[in-house]
Amino acid sequence: MSFAERMLHIDRRIIFLLIGLCTLIPLLYPVGLAIKVSPEVKSVYDYIESLPEGSVFLLSLDFDPASKPELYPQAVALLHHAFKKNLRVIGMTLWLPGTGMASEVVSRVAREEGKVSGKDYVFLGWSPGGGSVIINMGQDLYKAFPTDYNNQPTAELPVLKGVQSLRDVNYVISLAAGSTGIETWYVFGKDKYKFELGGGCTGVIAPGLYPLLRSGQINGLIGGLRGAAEYEVLIGKKGKAVAGMDAQSATHFAIILLVILCNVFYLLIRTSKNRAEQNRS
Amino acid sequence: MSFEVILGAWVATGLTLFILTFLYQDNPLFKLAEHLYVGVSVGYAIVKTYDTVAVRLIYEPMIKQGDWSLLIPLGIGTLMLTRYVPKAAWMSRIAFAFVVGVGSGLAIPRVISSYILKQIEDTVRPLVALATDGNATFTYSLLNPASNLNAIVLLIGVVSVLFYFFFSVEHTGPGKAVARTGIIFLMIAFGAAFGYTVMARMSLLIGRLTDLIEYAQPQYGRATWWLLVITIITLIVFHARRKGTEPPQ
Repeated sequence: MSFAERMLHIDRRIIFLLIGLCTLIPLLYPVGLAIKVSPEVKSVYDYIESLPEGSVFLLSLDFDPASKPELYPQAVALLHHAFKKNLRVIGMTLWLPGTGMASEVVSRVAREEGKVSGKDYVFLGWSPGGGSVIINMGQDLYKAFPTDYNNQPTAELPVLKGVQSLRDVNYVISLAAGSTGIETWYVFGKDKYKFELGGGCTGVIAPGLYPLLRSGQINGLIGGLRGAAEYEVLIGKKGKAVAGMDAQSATHFAIILLVILCNVFYLLIRTSKNRAEQNRS
Repeated sequence: MSFEVILGAWVATGLTLFILTFLYQDNPLFKLAEHLYVGVSVGYAIVKTYDTVAVRLIYEPMIKQGDWSLLIPLGIGTLMLTRYVPKAAWMSRIAFAFVVGVGSGLAIPRVISSYILKQIEDTVRPLVALATDGNATFTYSLLNPASNLNAIVLLIGVVSVLFYFFFSVEHTGPGKAVARTGIIFLMIAFGAAFGYTVMARMSLLIGRLTDLIEYAQPQYGRATWWLLVITIITLIVFHARRKGTEPPQ
């Protein structure tokens, strides 16, 4: 067996170990590589910056704990920005398994920014139906969510004063890990109730959402951990996303190198096989 | 730091390490974590659904606020349960018909408008722009999605990919060149999707390792180190026991 063949039959656990080390070492000893902010992330930031104090900002945390490493830092950065701007924040989720986590992140960031539940922000929780919930909120927010997550009647909350439906919301951002998310908010929400919509998503679904960005159906897109890091840079509050960028770059470099090496070894094997066949004939 | 936070850190660390042991080989610790995940997820979903739907959206508005109109959707929903009674199963079709009818009625026009009409509108863009003085201008920047050069790239991409999926005509001669161009565009799209997927999976690994590093700190009782040692010892014991029970070759 030639060297190239041995390399192509290498124990996959060695590759796992290599990727693990490429992730772990930069996390323990960060280098601090530069992070360039992309226009799609800047658009979200600029829109929130342009909102006057007291505007209504709805953050729909449409993900479950499986997507926490990518979307949780996005939620933290967006909430810090919204609270710093003194926006009235409405939190909710269309994903049942993410309810507890969504409630925790909204209340934790609010506590860090000194905001009060019911007065400065509200977490509505989860309601079944996906698109139907959005339609219901577009007609009457209080019928869709008669009480908030803490079982307080939503109609009595000062933070929702003057808000009757989605038409009264200034900006909606959906942080999505799947099909019930940004697209649902566009199809059943923005298209009908005419609020501005932005999005944050996992890396897996990001390529599918770029057509919505280009056509103006969403005004900005925060993609994956990279997008979260860019947003952390924009608000000047570096967190877990920025800390993970060195590791992300190192693993990407390792994977590119492995792909190139695999192709080189494959070509070497093919060439030697062709030569052997030619010699035989 | 509260006891719940420390306990949560130990549980999260233990389950993360148990799941990661699968990278070495399948083992009982991985199975334990896998089954716990499924059980906890289903239990959580049942409790939250009961609390939100049965209590907050049905019981409280009906009993406390006297909104008896909710009996109509409740009745339609209950019809679905007749699936479990063979003689009355036909009644569930009423509920399904309602769900399919309302769902289609709501979704079809909105989806056509959002995904087809809006996207066609965005695809059909002028290849040459007209300036305010009436002269034709052409922008070359590939980095600007709205440039005229990108409009041409988009046009070529859409037409060639559509042609590639047009199977009524044999892809020979000039048609072959167009179809080949379509394949190139598709490959670029698949490459971008794969790249993003790799980035997403690496982000998940970064997330778990970040937590493991955090939980290795003294304030969490060095959970990562203790549990790593326990996991390795348990794996060695399992491995030794399995070797002892394996039939001789």
